[in-house]
Formats: sequence, structure tokens, C-alpha cells
Amino acid sequence: MESTPTLPIPISYVSGRYLLFSIDAVTYLRREHNICGVLIGTLPQIPQQNVFLGLPLELMPEEARVLVDKDVACIVDEARAHDGMRSLLEEDRRQYLRDLESQGQLATRMLSDRKDQQREQSLKEIDEKKAKGLAAKAAKAAADAQAAASSTSAPTEKEEPNSVFAGEDESSSLSRTTGTSTPAHHQAMGVTPTTSYPPLPHPVSPSAQYLPKPEVPLSYPLFAHLHSRGYFLSPGLRFGCQYVAYPGDPLRFHSHFVVVSAEWDQEMNLMDIVNGGRLGTGVKKGFLLGGPQKRRDEVESEADRIETVRTFSIEWAGM
Amino acid sequence: MADADEDAVRGTTVEATQIEVDLSDETQDFRLLNHLNFLTDTSSSSLPRRGEKDFEPNPTEFQADVLSASRQAMHNALAHPRLHNPKTQVIAIYAPEGPPPAPAVTPGQPSRGASVSPDACVYVPSPKGQYFKSMGQADRKGVIWLLPEEALYLLERGSLDIRWPTSITGGTTVGEGSEEEELSIPMSLQAAYTCLIGRGGLTLERFTVFSSLKRIGYAISRAPGWDDSTEVDDSVDEHSRDSYTQPLKRGAGLAGILGSIFNWINDPKSTSSMAAGPVIGYGIHRNYADIYKKLALIPWYDPTLAPTRNTLNTSAPFRVIFYVYKPSTPIKKSALPPPDFRIAVINTREQTTAPTLPELSALLESTPLDPPRGEKMERQMYMRLRHGYRNVILAVVDQGVTSFLRVADVAFGKERLFEGSSAPTGPKKGGNFRKKKR
Repeated sequence: MESTPTLPIPISYVSGRYLLFSIDAVTYLRREHNICGVLIGTLPQIPQQNVFLGLPLELMPEEARVLVDKDVACIVDEARAHDGMRSLLEEDRRQYLRDLESQGQLATRMLSDRKDQQREQSLKEIDEKKAKGLAAKAAKAAADAQAAASSTSAPTEKEEPNSVFAGEDESSSLSRTTGTSTPAHHQAMGVTPTTSYPPLPHPVSPSAQYLPKPEVPLSYPLFAHLHSRGYFLSPGLRFGCQYVAYPGDPLRFHSHFVVVSAEWDQEMNLMDIVNGGRLGTGVKKGFLLGGPQKRRDEVESEADRIETVRTFSIEWAGM
Repeated sequence: MADADEDAVRGTTVEATQIEVDLSDETQDFRLLNHLNFLTDTSSSSLPRRGEKDFEPNPTEFQADVLSASRQAMHNALAHPRLHNPKTQVIAIYAPEGPPPAPAVTPGQPSRGASVSPDACVYVPSPKGQYFKSMGQADRKGVIWLLPEEALYLLERGSLDIRWPTSITGGTTVGEGSEEEELSIPMSLQAAYTCLIGRGGLTLERFTVFSSLKRIGYAISRAPGWDDSTEVDDSVDEHSRDSYTQPLKRGAGLAGILGSIFNWINDPKSTSSMAAGPVIGYGIHRNYADIYKKLALIPWYDPTLAPTRNTLNTSAPFRVIFYVYKPSTPIKKSALPPPDFRIAVINTREQTTAPTLPELSALLESTPLDPPRGEKMERQMYMRLRHGYRNVILAVVDQGVTSFLRVADVAFGKERLFEGSSAPTGPKKGGNFRKKKR
């Protein structure tokens, strides 16, 4: 997990959006560069819910831009990269299929191993229960209902029907599977890989052409400023702001600020500030208002604007 | 310290968060997933409750360990492979050119399943499993064609194995079809996103809305307004185009004037002379209802009188693009029932402002009249007001985070508080109602 993927990390540009498909890149960027993104895919292991989501990870253009500016990532046009499927060498193709096949076989073996283990364990449990039950009965008969024996046997009896059923279920499904699925032990599972590299050659190479830096909204300087101070930022419209700022990884920490960006000489409605202040205070966060002191036409690049960002935090003081 | 109303606000927010914690609002601690044993037990009974979070990072080793455990769990959960058991594997093939054009229908012969959408681009030669009950369209040979969002959703949840066509990847076509299948290359998740997002109007935002509803069991079909560019024939719809700019008011127009004249003739008690005399006119007033009726001077908007608009006569993104059916609604793919919900999808990076009144009323007029019905609605005025007479759902997607908003056309003017017993008598009734709802 602590591995570092080869840099720069390719960010997939798909139909105008920035996506990450490689789990190593996702973990690395989260750990080293405070980039969380938003998971938008279905988790294949529990597909019927919206609480835990899986790959791909969608990045805001701001996030992609920060990474490109730091030379940590580059933008790859996936549609063009996938044209490479047309020019795969026959040998690579076969090699790739063989790899998938062996992955599938490995998965099959792991699954059947685990099944065996579980079966053994449940059988063992049944045996233990039976032995215990017999012992208890024997003790009962012999010692003529001693209080201690009955109090220990009562809970085991209570649990027994449950575990026996589970065991039966397991063994009956086992007898069913052993009848039909012996060939399945050799037949590999089909695998849907997550990324296309391989079979395609890795998109990052000295000769490769990358897409230009992502276009960013006017709020980018504030985003980059907060990000450079170690904040984790995620899209915030749902919470009534532009970004939600977390002091650490959102996995472990509550957010501290609801963030709204403004241009330096932009007229603001006082009501917006009151609204923001009340909203933030209501959810125990600070309302953070900020922006660069220079306009876009006053500087050469967006990076110059980032240095001039000032931020203000507004809180409802109960007096 | 704090004033009373602030306390009240605090109190309600705390109460509200306790009552309805939307789990998907927060970043989840993936460590909780470790308790579920995926590979063997696919029928995970219930989701774990979320763990506690800290206020801010501190330099303790303990916190670092907990965080790294969380990240490791997340890594493991996300790295879970998509496997297909050979016995239940469903193989599909990507067809970048779309379905073959339907042959000319011979008259007199009912064309079976000739209605494959030209946007469909993945076909399933031998469909099996439950998923094709609500998804896909069969062509004349019985091959099921999937729309890009359906195919991508199935691949993503690990239920479909899409293959590259040999026309792209090449490969030795060794005689038999089965042999060819063996040699085709499975499409990766990345390749599927690359090839399917952007096809036939499918944006990433539309797909996230589609898959998030699909995951929790809704059936979804594309609405006629799917294609942003399709517009209705102007000549046919000229009338409704003009009429939406001005919401109809009760009493406006020639019909309204005639109506009030008839009313005046028919109502012997009325002696109304608003300009000079008392508002309700001279005369003998025997009950309050008559007086209140006369006092209702302010024109109001009646959604039942609003013109019905062709669904195509709306402008993107404020147009209905998905029809959504509850899991309990029986679905027949060939003859879809009227949808339970209509959804418009809005990308916040492209549409940065709230919809204007003309946009919103055009959107509402494009939905059919859905007046509040049912016993509950009869009894409770608040329910009627909330339900409205037309409704539509806006799915607002902010960089992968989706919020669903329901917009309804409400007729306050239709609720005559001075009539009937259904009027709320005070705060007590409102309080009762709220309790019942939760």
C-alpha cells in the first residue's frame, strides 16, 4: 500500500471529465497529496447501495489542475489511447489473455479454498457442539441435575439449532456443488479488469502527448491556496457552499469550513454573508470567504493569483 | 449566552441529524466493510453503522494508526475484483457501430422487437439472468441490445462481461463462433467508461444519476427529451409556446370576464361596487363563507389551468430525460406504464444559476397533471400543498455528488381555508402531523 506509482500519474480525460481508475493512484494521491475526489462507481461486492461507492474516482478540474501544476499527474485522452486496441500485437494479445486466465484461476482457487475452510470450520463446530451436548447429557444423567451443568448447557442448546441449520445448509450446498462443480475447479473465473493498461502500453512515456492543463473556474486560487495549507477539499454544493474543507482525511475528520470564493472587487450582497455565517454556525463549521486580490487579466498565470489569496472566516457570535 | 432562537435552531438541527442521517452525505469509513465477508457471502444483510470521527489531526501515533487502517480498508474494498462465475457469466459484445439498421418492415407482418434504439451499442447474444427484465431491447433475432448506460452499469456491478469486438482488436477468427468468443478481449472498466460515456448523449452526470437510482432498485428508462437537440415542430406547438410566458390567472381573459358577469347575474345577494363602496358590497350577509369568498380579491395561479406542453418543447438541462419506476411498479419493457417520477439532470459546472421562472414553469408544464389524490391527501391540507399539481425531480450533480430536489406546482389558491373542517386549527395540529410523518 505504501508503494509509489510511477509519476506522473495519468488522469483519464473521458468526455470532458477527469477520472482515476487505478486503485494505487487513488490511494497514493489521497495519502501524499491530500486529493480525495469523489467515488462514483458501484462496488461489485455490495452493488445494491449508495453508501459505499467504488472506482472510478471523479476529480474536480481544480484537483486535476493542482496535480498537473505539481507535475504529479498528466491528463491522458482515453479515447485516443484506446484506439491503441486496434494495433495490439497478436503476441501481446495472447499474453494478456493468458494473464487474465491465470488471474481467474487464482480467484477460483482462493474461493474454493475459503469455502473448504468454512466448511471445515462449521463441521468442527457441529462436532464440538455434539460432543458438548453429549457430555452435558452424560453429566446430567450422572450427577443428577447439578446446577452448574444445567446453566452451561442451557445456552449451548439455545445456540444449537441455529448453528446446526447453518451447518446443514453448508453441507447440503457442498454436496450439491461437489456433484456438479468439479470441473469448475479447473475452469477459471472470468475477470473484468479495472484498467486498460495492460493490454495497452502505459500512457506515460517521454514521447507521449498529454492534454493541456484543465480549465478551472474563478474559485481555483482559493482552492489551491487551501490545498497548499494541507486542507482536504471536496465539492460542497450539497452543503450550501463551493467547497467543504477538512483539516485531515475526511475518512477520519469532520470538516471545519464551508468555503465560498469571491473575486476581490466583487460586490457582495450582505445577505449572502449573513446566510453563510448562519449556515456555517448551524452545522458547527466556520464560513470561510476568500479570494485572490488580483483579477485574471492582471496576472500572467493562475499561479500568480494563488499567492495573493486572502481568506476570512465568519462566525455567528452569540452575544 | 446564546439567545433563545439560536438555541431553538441548534436544537432542531441536532434533532434533525439524529432523525435522518443520510449516510451517503459523509465520507464513509471503509474499515466497517471489513466486517462483511464479500467473496463468500454476497447477500450482506445490512450496512454497518458509521464510526466516530475526530475533530482535527493531532500528532499521536494512535490517530495515525487508525487513519492508516481506514485507508487500508478503503484500498482493499476498492481493489476488489469483478469476477464472473463461468456458470452464470453473461457475455456481451461491444458494437461501436450500433445495431444494424432495421430492415424494411413488410406490411401485414408484425415486426417483432424492431425497436432497438440506434444509441444501443452493446449486444448480448445469449441473455440470461434477472437484469434483462427491465433493461435492454430485443431485436428480431432475439439478441438483446443494451444502451450504453445499461451496459456500463451492469459491467460496473460485476454482472456483465463485455468483450471488444474482433473487428477492433483483431484476432484469428478460427472458424466457429464459440472459438472466436474465447479469443476476444474483455473490456476493462476504464475502457467501458471511455467507450460508453459520451455516446448518444450519455454524460457522466446522467450516468451517475442512472446508476445511483439503479443501485437502490428503481427501474429507469430514457424519456423523449433525452436528446438535447430534438425539438418539437414549431407549427404544431405555436399555441403553447406563446401561452407560457404569462401564467394563467383566475378571472383573467374574456372567459373570466364573461364568467364574472354570469356570476353577478346569478348572485342576487351581490351588489358589488368595488370602486366606490365597501369591498364586499352592500347587502345582507348571512354567513362568513360568502363574505370570505368576496374578500378573495387577489388573483392566484391555478396550475390545473396551465397549458400542457410537449416534453420536447423545453430547453436543456431543464427537461425531463429519465422516467423512473418504483421497484413495486410492474414493468413491461414493450409497453412501459406512466412513470412514477420524472427526472431532469443538471450539471452544476455547466448550469451555475438556479432555473428562471420561465424555465421552471416550462419544465413543469411538460409533465402531466398529477393532482393530489388519495385518502391521506383528502384529510391533510399540508400533504396536498406539498404534493402539488405537477411535479418533477431535479437531480443536481456537483462533481459526482448528486442531490435530488422535488419541484411541485402548488395551488395555495385552491385551498379555501374558510371552508370545510380540513383547515388547520392551530399549531397543535401541525405538531401532530409532523410526529405522524416521522
